[in-house]
Amino acid sequence: MSAQAILQRLGAPLTVLVLLTLWELAARALALDGFPTATESLAQLPAILFDGQSLQSIGASLARMFAGIGLALLVAVPAGLAMGRNPTLARMLNPLLSAAYPVPKAALMPMVMLWFGVGDLSKILVIFLGVSLPLLYHSYHGAARLDDKLLWSAAAMGMRAPARLLRITLPGALPEVLLGCRVGLAMALIVMISSEMIARQSGAGDLLFNALDMALYPDVYAMIVILAALGFALDWAFEHLRLRLVHWAEPRQDAASGGNS
Amino acid sequence: MKRFTRSLGLTACAFLALCGQTQAADDIPTIRVGWSIPAEEMKYWMMRRPDAFPDLGKQYRIAWTQFQGTAPMVQAMLSDAIDCSSQAPLSLGQGAASGGLQAYVLAQHVGERKGESFSVYWAVAEDSPVRSVADLKGRTVGVNVYGSGVYGQMAMILKQNGLDPERDIRLVETGFPGSEAALRAGRVDAAVMNQPFALRAESKGGIRKLFSLTDLMPNTVHIFEVCRKDFTDAHPELVKRYVKDLRTAMALAREDRAETLKVVSEVTRAPVDLLDGYLLTDKDFARSADARPDFEAIQQMLDQYQQLGMLPAKVDVAQFRRDDLIQ
Repeated sequence: MSAQAILQRLGAPLTVLVLLTLWELAARALALDGFPTATESLAQLPAILFDGQSLQSIGASLARMFAGIGLALLVAVPAGLAMGRNPTLARMLNPLLSAAYPVPKAALMPMVMLWFGVGDLSKILVIFLGVSLPLLYHSYHGAARLDDKLLWSAAAMGMRAPARLLRITLPGALPEVLLGCRVGLAMALIVMISSEMIARQSGAGDLLFNALDMALYPDVYAMIVILAALGFALDWAFEHLRLRLVHWAEPRQDAASGGNS
Repeated sequence: MKRFTRSLGLTACAFLALCGQTQAADDIPTIRVGWSIPAEEMKYWMMRRPDAFPDLGKQYRIAWTQFQGTAPMVQAMLSDAIDCSSQAPLSLGQGAASGGLQAYVLAQHVGERKGESFSVYWAVAEDSPVRSVADLKGRTVGVNVYGSGVYGQMAMILKQNGLDPERDIRLVETGFPGSEAALRAGRVDAAVMNQPFALRAESKGGIRKLFSLTDLMPNTVHIFEVCRKDFTDAHPELVKRYVKDLRTAMALAREDRAETLKVVSEVTRAPVDLLDGYLLTDKDFARSADARPDFEAIQQMLDQYQQLGMLPAKVDVAQFRRDDLIQ
């Protein structure tokens, strides 16, 4: 096996190892209470991961996250596709979306809490808002880039508008929609935690913010590691799913290298 | 066919019985209660040891929601999202004066008692030239949250010592957890200390107490329990049960320290060893046996906040009293 092949295979674990070593050395050198070593923090992982209540809390957060993503898929994808195929609708909604995009969604939590209470609904809505915008934008651009001739041909053959949206626009825009999903997934994880910052009944925020309040810094960092690992696992799984669904849209290796043989 | 009909009948009976049970369960009234950490041992007992309270779960239920601080709980009460919550004098005063919150103070979680309990204090480095409050002029002082009740009392102490809290010091928001690190790194000249961070800092040494809140008043009230007035007036018996259980919880917390350590550890995830160093000792805040609110102290604090401009108008503590519920 060549050095390049070894590096390709072991590159990611090596990067993690280097980062952990740097973390360990920096924490030992600085010796700050609020910055525990990597070994101290990683030692807390079993206590969290083998505790039923902690797992239940993380599960509750994930359930809300997936509910928010599901809702966003139902609303934002059709809306984005419609915008992509209807310039008037796009002109009407684009300024609104541009204004809404930079607003930190977690900052809306106190307002949402006033309207919808302190339960799961508020948190799901905030996650929905956080995921919707990237999904909407990617769906819009995916649909807008679609070759008009495909839709004209389908219309000429008698296909109605809803069928065209479902059978031509959606599959054509799918690579872009799924990219939006990938961005949305990362966003959902961020908003999932920040939505639990103000009020919570159960969730990963319990573990993170309570540990912070009690100055249990190794627990805080362990939770951050768990969230990072969760983000990595979700992204890895989604990327595999995405490649299976839209492998036809990926640039071919032989084409990319100029078809050398 | 006969067997099928019988099964159908049995299923229908079971369904009706289940519905009846659900209906009966739904008849039990629920109080929506906001809580936070740390220092609410009464609630932790009720959450983690509900069997110790005969009425809880049978005569009434509690839907618990954890909040990050008392100010969001004021918002939640104003928006009818919760019925009762833990409060501090400043957040309740601001809620009443600016938001029109109407509530009753029904029990006290923790406060201070001069010479008998922990008091929030400001520490300086052992070798610091700062020897008195007046020496803080031109220095950087840490505070948990700018505009908090603790800040208000610190500002009063500075004023009493001839300093203008707005002009004579540089204020830095460190939070309680980051306070010690800020002091040791030299980012602040005086750092605010609260438990369990104070205990940790003291055990390492190198710090010296400069002044504490007991220098201002001997009985600062930190956290108490309030319920919305409309909810309480509509359900006085329900709230009475809740207050009775809070007092039972206070008695249990004080009588069985070993169990309280376990309960608090379960809620906060802090190790029992850490809690054992201060919880329910003279290094901890004061808890009165009957959990009765100290209305006089609350009034005194509200007046201080008004004097500092942190409250827009005088807030009379009498509006928060309903004596028949705290007898």
